[in-house]
Amino acid sequence: METTDLNLFVRTSEESIADWDRSKIVDALIRETMIDRDTANEVSKDAEQMIRKSGIKVITAPLIRELVNAKLIEKGLENTRKMHTRLGMPLYDVDSLILHPNKENANVPHGPEATNLTLSENIKKEYALLSVFSQDVADAHMNGDIHLHDLGFIDRPYCSGQSLEYIKKFGLDLPHSLSMAKPAKHPEVLLAHLVKFAAALQSHFAGAIGWDAINVFFAPYLEGMSDGDVKQLAQMLIFEFSQQAVARGGQAIFTDINVYWEIPQHFVSVPAIGPGGKFTGKTYGEYEKEAQRFAWALFEVFKEGDGAGRPFFFPKPIVHITEKFFRTDGHMDFLNFISDVAADKGNTYYVFDRGETAKISECCRLSFKLDEKDLLDAREPWRMRYCALQNVSLNLPRLAYLAKNDDTQLFNLITERFILAVKAHKEKRSFMEKLLSLGEDGPLALLTMNRDGMPYLRFNLASHLIGMVGLNEMVQIHTGEEMHESKRALKFGIKVIAHMNILTDKIRRQEQMKIVLEQTPAESTSYRFARLDMRYFSPLSGRIVKGDIASGEVYYTNSTHLNVKYAMNPIERVTSEGIFHPLIEAGSISHVWLGESHPSHEAIADFVIKTFKHTTNDQIAFSPEFTTCNKCHRTSRGLADTCSYCGSPDVDGITRITGYFTKVSSWNKGKLGELKDRYRNTEYFSETKKKAVNE
Amino acid sequence: MGTVKIFYKDDCPMCPMAKKLKDNLRAKNVDVDDFNVETLEGLTEATYYRVMALPTIVVEDETENWVGEWRGNVPNVDEVLHVVHGA
Repeated sequence: METTDLNLFVRTSEESIADWDRSKIVDALIRETMIDRDTANEVSKDAEQMIRKSGIKVITAPLIRELVNAKLIEKGLENTRKMHTRLGMPLYDVDSLILHPNKENANVPHGPEATNLTLSENIKKEYALLSVFSQDVADAHMNGDIHLHDLGFIDRPYCSGQSLEYIKKFGLDLPHSLSMAKPAKHPEVLLAHLVKFAAALQSHFAGAIGWDAINVFFAPYLEGMSDGDVKQLAQMLIFEFSQQAVARGGQAIFTDINVYWEIPQHFVSVPAIGPGGKFTGKTYGEYEKEAQRFAWALFEVFKEGDGAGRPFFFPKPIVHITEKFFRTDGHMDFLNFISDVAADKGNTYYVFDRGETAKISECCRLSFKLDEKDLLDAREPWRMRYCALQNVSLNLPRLAYLAKNDDTQLFNLITERFILAVKAHKEKRSFMEKLLSLGEDGPLALLTMNRDGMPYLRFNLASHLIGMVGLNEMVQIHTGEEMHESKRALKFGIKVIAHMNILTDKIRRQEQMKIVLEQTPAESTSYRFARLDMRYFSPLSGRIVKGDIASGEVYYTNSTHLNVKYAMNPIERVTSEGIFHPLIEAGSISHVWLGESHPSHEAIADFVIKTFKHTTNDQIAFSPEFTTCNKCHRTSRGLADTCSYCGSPDVDGITRITGYFTKVSSWNKGKLGELKDRYRNTEYFSETKKKAVNE
Repeated sequence: MGTVKIFYKDDCPMCPMAKKLKDNLRAKNVDVDDFNVETLEGLTEATYYRVMALPTIVVEDETENWVGEWRGNVPNVDEVLHVVHGA
């Protein structure tokens, strides 16, 4: 029978109905795979016969493709089938996506834009696993040995550290944009450029967009402004970022702003750029007072909270505590003030840059010491643009299940998984190189724009993050004790991370790639790994995973953290957790959960100074909890089922999930389990309060 | 009597002096553990003891409390012996 004899119509992917034409199958097979024409013909005839027998009158193109794939499998042509795969989602899944919120990332709202994001992410995830990564890497991700973060954003780098100086100097002149803006002459315009550039960057990075020394670089624009106007500018900055829920997928831009009380040593003698992109004739060292005014104003806004008194979710303010901080006038007033904000709203992140070496925070809280070449960049701060290309986390507890208490086996397995993660990085890197090589005509035109003699994305400086999830549970399985239970267990945990640190150094040299260890925030990964291990390593895993098995709210402890449930003095926790931080360059943080308690700013400031002086902890944040009422729009302390002001049950709980504040209703089950377990340090902070009152 | 822990690495300027100190202390029957921070065991111990400069010399009493420490410099034998015998 000739193809045209078949009384069959096809719903094509071009939204039309076409007559049946078998040669289209042959063409597609030859175009998309390595198959020869004779075999393609044979497969298409088999598929046609199957369709004819079914008596169907109208068939969709995706169904034809699947039937052809079935024939390819019958013929043992698995590789050809893989290349011929159609990516997409079942109707049922799309239906539930459109109707129900996505809980993988609590920063994704629910709405048509968010649905678009999730749908495209799903297809890009499939694409990444089939086409970017090799089979063993993809399989390791699928079965939960490792987690390739943000696969849905496979065609972008992971996170970035930016410099406001770039837009101050070059204005807003983005490839393919409808208009270009010259460097801003007024602070409000600079702010508008900043927010628009951040939104454009968010479309090109999977994760955080961080801004270095924001108050320092704004300072030359603030001369002559009244305190009221500076406060207004600070208010605009914070509201612009926190209400920018129109960016990618209707999300707020995931923004970090780095704030310094002092002028960082490496910027003190750097010529300052002011209005119109011109050098002002002064150095940043001469703008300390303006920079401090802006820092103070930003925190005044954080202290007030939004219109309902809630903490702002974004931007996240990261204050650098350095040796110079303690030598700068007014530092105690500032420390007390930002600690008041920490106690009241929780926004303040304290990053500790100890020693006199110049350090800056890149993305993902990656701090690094500036070498000579970096210090030259600091003379021209618009060059200070950094990124991490990808983040891969290892499922540590799984390795302990597999090692069956054998040390040698355990350390061999860590090495194996680490090398697999490096392989994943190489594959992503080569994919990114391909995209970037297309230059301003390619999908990442923004990142290839060249305004200062080098592409915007400085690929040669890119980091590749390797994270870890569940060190505490790995140690528990292997030694029988959790890390808080004995010195032996804690030391064993250190040994594991020291091993990873040594591997990092070695592979960095071997591969000439900037591999960096990171404390993965693991917002959904700690849940995913625990859930998968419940499936593969039961019944043992049932005794190990944290949370509530009956409700499915299971999780592994994040990164190298200690058990969140264990009641321990927070200073002791920050000290013990901080022991790991010198081994991990990126993302190290200790959380101090506050719950309903409201410590005094003196208690927090004292805590911060002790942490700086007596521990090796890199970063701490204090996290209170709130209930905000959707009816009367008031916000109270603690998590409650009803509003304490009007009694309405229409309330949202708000607290920090991993690295940011968000509504508890958007959390995944694992994090909900963790939230129930968190030890909230109420006793410690009420004791310090009592002591202060008595004194 | 206290025990001494010495942390070093192969190519730090003052580390040869620390190694010499180790030999001198052992010659006086002091219990000395030495750790090269470029090995896994050494890095683990150094991290646990929050060693941020090399060489570092720590004296612990019998209950593992620190009774003396020198970070980034090398004391003379008598200084260390004084602390060790006082522990």
